[in-house]
Amino acid sequence: MALFKIIFLIFIIFTSLNGYESEAKLKAVIVGKVAKYITFQDDKGSKEFVITIYKNKCANTFDNIYKDVKINNKPVKIVYIDNIEDLGYTNVLYISKVNSATLSKILEKTKNKNIVTISSNRGFAQKGGVIQLYFVSQKLKLKINTQSATQKNLKIGSTLLRVADIVKGDKV
Amino acid sequence: MRYINKKQIIFSSIFFISSLVAEENLFDEDIENLLSIKTELKATIGSRDGARDYLTSNSPVDVITNQQIENSGLTSLTDVLRYFVAGFNAPETSIADGSDHIRAYTLRGMNPDQILVLINGKRVHTSALLHVNGIIGRGSSHVDLDNIPLSSIDKVEILMDGAAAQYGSDAIAGVINITLKGIGYSNKLNILSGIRKAGDGKQRQSDLFMSIPLKYDGFINITLDMREQNPTQRAGLDYRLEVPRVTTHVGILDSKDYKAILYSEVPQDNDINIYSQLLFDYKESKASAFFRPSSDKSISLYQDGFLPIIKAKITDSTILLGVKGEIYDSISWDLSNSYGLNHFHYFVEGSMNYYLDANSPTSFDNGSLNFIQNTTTLDLKKDESKFKIAGGVEFRYENYQIKAGEVASYIGTGSEGYAGYKPENEVNKHRHSYAIYVDNTYNFTKKFVFETALRYEDYSDFGESTNGKLALSYKLTPTLMLRASGSTGFRAPSLAQSYYSQTSSFVNDMGILTTQGTFRVDHEVSKSLGATDLKSERSQHVTMGTVFRPNKKTSLSVECFYIDVNNKILLTPEITATTPEQQEVFRKYNVSAARFFTNAARMTTQGVNLKINSSHNFQNGSNLDVGFWYSYSKNDNKKSTDISLDGSNTARVLYEDGQPKSSLRILTDYKYKNIETTLNISRYGSYYQMLNENIYKFDAKWTTDINIAYDFTKNFRLSFGGINIFDTMPNRWDNLDGYLYGTNGIEQYSRYTPFGYSGAYYYLKASIKF
Repeated sequence: MALFKIIFLIFIIFTSLNGYESEAKLKAVIVGKVAKYITFQDDKGSKEFVITIYKNKCANTFDNIYKDVKINNKPVKIVYIDNIEDLGYTNVLYISKVNSATLSKILEKTKNKNIVTISSNRGFAQKGGVIQLYFVSQKLKLKINTQSATQKNLKIGSTLLRVADIVKGDKV
Repeated sequence: MRYINKKQIIFSSIFFISSLVAEENLFDEDIENLLSIKTELKATIGSRDGARDYLTSNSPVDVITNQQIENSGLTSLTDVLRYFVAGFNAPETSIADGSDHIRAYTLRGMNPDQILVLINGKRVHTSALLHVNGIIGRGSSHVDLDNIPLSSIDKVEILMDGAAAQYGSDAIAGVINITLKGIGYSNKLNILSGIRKAGDGKQRQSDLFMSIPLKYDGFINITLDMREQNPTQRAGLDYRLEVPRVTTHVGILDSKDYKAILYSEVPQDNDINIYSQLLFDYKESKASAFFRPSSDKSISLYQDGFLPIIKAKITDSTILLGVKGEIYDSISWDLSNSYGLNHFHYFVEGSMNYYLDANSPTSFDNGSLNFIQNTTTLDLKKDESKFKIAGGVEFRYENYQIKAGEVASYIGTGSEGYAGYKPENEVNKHRHSYAIYVDNTYNFTKKFVFETALRYEDYSDFGESTNGKLALSYKLTPTLMLRASGSTGFRAPSLAQSYYSQTSSFVNDMGILTTQGTFRVDHEVSKSLGATDLKSERSQHVTMGTVFRPNKKTSLSVECFYIDVNNKILLTPEITATTPEQQEVFRKYNVSAARFFTNAARMTTQGVNLKINSSHNFQNGSNLDVGFWYSYSKNDNKKSTDISLDGSNTARVLYEDGQPKSSLRILTDYKYKNIETTLNISRYGSYYQMLNENIYKFDAKWTTDINIAYDFTKNFRLSFGGINIFDTMPNRWDNLDGYLYGTNGIEQYSRYTPFGYSGAYYYLKASIKF
């Protein structure tokens, strides 16, 4: 009984604490967060900041996070697509896990467009994506392909570059 | 009524607290903070459906991270698991022949050959050594966990459930999956130096981890590890001598260990990834037998007696090559071949063969053991939103060899300390097996997950086995999950258990050279005593538990388990011939006593695991992680026959009471600015050992470990700390009056002692990232 009391006491002490985040939620937050550090040259005067999700695998995580959020003083609109041909105007394109052929198609489709492509697909930054997300020891890390960003006429702020690993083109 | 009210209050509190969970808006955090947030700890073990939060697994899984390992000051994986995992036991032995050189370990009180070990999900080969002495783990061969350099490890996942239906033979007590570091880790050099409080047992260890990045997040990771361990000496005086003195070595053995591992992944343009794992370990270690006082038999070479030193040279290597890829977006495949070799070579030094008298050499090559395992596996996995289905085929080849030592090591009475393997002990046996398996996870709803697994195996030597597993989890509330699993399992007898033999000879009272030792089950001597071909161990498992997560950084899990293992393979004690038929066979082979492997027992293991994990970020920016882990397990022999097979209680005490039934770990880590402090407290329950027909009890003990690290720069850390800092020692034998084992004898502590008997250990460690 004494052991049970000790366990319960320890348990109560630690039940008002901060939380570990799920990888999916943190990725969803970062997708919009990085956009705050990027200057878009070609926003076509849109009244909304558009984030497009290709092959959503996160249920309604994006909707929940961006419900009342503004990016660059614009309300956020989340668009879900399953076919890259359906890609309309967007500031950010988040690509869920896809195979190489599909990824090549997507990168070709968005080439030279003023869109921040983000994905956690392996080798994404070297393959021409702008921002790659990956996890090491339970922490999120970023890889930014500055050459891709320049080609897309995106200006990435120094704060973001400072916290990311820089990839230049397809070089290791 | 008063008790019921208390329970009501407790559970009401828990549900009230769980209802207070609030979603904070992460989007308001700045980018640096977001990148410093820890995400959920993921594990791949327990299911083939990929990595997921270990707390949401259908079966109980625990994870030791590389940060925990780095903050421990420990230099071997066996020790890491011993200090972090309640229910993992790894005593240090002395004067136990080969068992001194490769430490046996148990999980939930069950033998090491009932634990499957994987590296990156791939089966690891066992050591060639078979423990035949009276130690914890007697009668088993197992993976030598100390072959793996700690700096190469990303995390260690421990599945506390039967999983033979998923991974095949051996996964009865659980599965240990070692995940190697992949991309994103810094190059690092660690240098450690440590010493025991008693001034002996100096340890020097250094390791280097280097990562070479390749295209598309490929990498070549190389880890080199070198460790030199000086012996500790905890032997008592030898009262057999006229002037008593310390003659024998008791304590941690003298060893040198060199490890290397290369892990690479080379992704191609077309979703194909070529990977490899190359491991190499070379270890040399020296342990002693009991001192031989001066006698007529040794006077020709040793005037004052001699101490035989048993030396082992152990080589272990693994070459794993694989290729994996994806078809469409949802089907992945993985084809690999792993070749593993373990070579254990015995030498004896400072000894003699009485039979050869003055002509005896003093150093001997005593022969070697060799084990080869080659595993070819093809895995397929289809991932849909509602269900995941995985399956595959596996082909495995195994070869076991015993090679005789030099003639002088076995002729006549053989080398003292450890007799060499004789030509009649030599063996070169192999077998193969194939398996086909399927594993299906179905998410009925967001709350209800259902998992099934089925595996069929066919072994060339003992036949077929089909095993299944059913696991369920149900989220009663967003914070409370119930889970249960039931499965069947098996363990194929190892080739060593079927074919190992080692006999030594001595001159009996009548002056006749006679033989005793371990005989193969198919030997006429063993058969005369009732030995039959070994059958596989068959097991049933039931695990039920709950995971409660009142918030994202606190979790409470409780699991109850019951395991029933039939046909448990045991090594008998040395048995003498009693019937005329037996005596005739014994006379034919000039044997006085024999032991052999047999399916002797039906063992049940039942218990409970309780774990609380919590993490707190304070306002001053510091962070505190606390883990509280209690484990209780109880082994019982359910067979009506005496499992000791000789009328004694030796085996019963060894298997039922030889290990602590309860163990507790309290793990804390506090980080503030440049300082990180780790404080771990362990409690080891009481245990028993039988000697000379008496049962001796050894009390429960507490130990405390600490590590204090200071980051001078982002790339340079200095740590100091200690293991068992208050120098807790186990009880000595209670009122045992013996020269060899005794309160004041040479070996004063039980070899079952779960935390060793070398006392406090202090170290200094420097870590440089580059």
